[in-house]
Amino acid sequence: MTTTLLLTGILVAVFVGYNIGGATTGPAFGPAVGADAISKTLAGGLMTVFFFVGAWTIGRRVVDTLGRELVRDPGVFTLEASVGVLFFIGVALFIGNFFGVPASTSMTAVGSIAGLGLATGELNWAVMGEIAIWWIVSPFIGFWVSLIIGRYFYAELNRRIALERSEGPLFEVDRSGIVPVPALSDTTNVREAGGVVMVIVIGCLMAYSSGTSNIANAVAPLVGSGELEMNPAIVIGCFAVGIGTFTIARRTLETMGNELTELPLTAAIITATVSATLVIFLSAIGIPASFVIIATMSIIGLGWGRATRPMTVGDAVRGEESAPVSVGSLSDDREGEELPPIGEEAEPERIPKASDLFDPATTARVVLMQNVVPAIATVGAYATFQFVPIFGL
Amino acid sequence: MISRVLVPMDDSDHAEHALEYALENYPDAEITVLHIVGVPSMMMGDAVGLSLEDDLEKAADDRAEPVIERAREVAADRDREIETVVGIGHPARNIIDRADDYDAIVLGSHGADWNRATRRFLVGNVAETVSKRAPVPVTIVR
Repeated sequence: MTTTLLLTGILVAVFVGYNIGGATTGPAFGPAVGADAISKTLAGGLMTVFFFVGAWTIGRRVVDTLGRELVRDPGVFTLEASVGVLFFIGVALFIGNFFGVPASTSMTAVGSIAGLGLATGELNWAVMGEIAIWWIVSPFIGFWVSLIIGRYFYAELNRRIALERSEGPLFEVDRSGIVPVPALSDTTNVREAGGVVMVIVIGCLMAYSSGTSNIANAVAPLVGSGELEMNPAIVIGCFAVGIGTFTIARRTLETMGNELTELPLTAAIITATVSATLVIFLSAIGIPASFVIIATMSIIGLGWGRATRPMTVGDAVRGEESAPVSVGSLSDDREGEELPPIGEEAEPERIPKASDLFDPATTARVVLMQNVVPAIATVGAYATFQFVPIFGL
Repeated sequence: MISRVLVPMDDSDHAEHALEYALENYPDAEITVLHIVGVPSMMMGDAVGLSLEDDLEKAADDRAEPVIERAREVAADRDREIETVVGIGHPARNIIDRADDYDAIVLGSHGADWNRATRRFLVGNVAETVSKRAPVPVTIVR
């Protein structure tokens, strides 16, 4: 009986891991694959390797938080309950993928486990509170950092990164020596190669951050139940993620449904770096991070910062900006007249302004929507564990 | 006398039906097609992508091109010419802000089926909002 249950638990965990692999390869390597820098197979391989490194080094801290600290008595993770929790995480992932509502796997996992904790009266409110506070604070940090970058540095960064692929393969292999050495092909210039390498490196950083944060979602309940040791659990979880990266991830890479890959490359690089850094930091202190929300707020911050950038006369004269500034308009300002602050001159009506694209109400709705799936998982898990008496609680 | 009609369009069939309806029922009016780009989405990718462009107007026009082009074709089939306007951001707000310049608004009952639930949550039902708040008569085409 126990063996069958354990096997079921592992199978569900593998299913969750498989979905995580499928869902996270797109954001991480979508830009690199889209720019023809690497193949889908290589993307899957890199994803698997760096996910494992992240899971093995830092990811175990989050497994500890979810599996051993969020509930005061890990004994509530009976095998039946673990399967139930994993089931909710899997269903939430499915809903997210199916309806195109991006949902944070970590928030869903914490929600499901919190539901179990509530139903059994074993929820550790101190840990839950700490996690919740970081969930509120970290998107603000992502938003603010990206806002500053968008406002003051985006133009400069965009000039430097400008990644336009030339025709022909990026590298060719020099086989004249004993060891084949990859070298830049004739059609590749150095800046282009730098940009491509950067996109790949950031993909690997994202994969690593995903490992630190997401491994817990697949295996924490089983580790908490004590039926599976930490190390084998991590290996099994990463194996499942690997299967996902080579199979369903091909589809997610293809459909490019992920909005991170719809952004200009520079923007994708900036938001990916900001979000991945935050996620790794949170994982390092044992907090399951809500990558989707951090990334979304970082994207919005970048756009918002860019939309409200201060426009100096210098920019306009260099032709950086779209607003036409005729030479005459400079001398039109009469002395003694109060000038509007730079960048805030009243524009003629009906000329579209980037600031029209953003408003707090819409942003609030976006964030609210991303909390729907985790909220459903929490309530569903609570109701199930409270009222369905098959979990051995 | 209705002489200026605004037809807000997205890329759906419903929008096309609305344009056909307007062309047929207002044979002498000046028809203006409005398409809105940079509409809020789940991770705001479209809006942010647009805001990062150096030349916002040109980028908005480029993104609107397929829908505008299609609208021109529909009009050309009926030997009509249309005015076109491109707006950015929130659809209902865009339409209501411009409504004063027109005598009537004609629009489809709902937009593209794509992600209807999420879209509805983020930007609401555009037809409903416009019919409630616009200062001019609104025709909703089913």
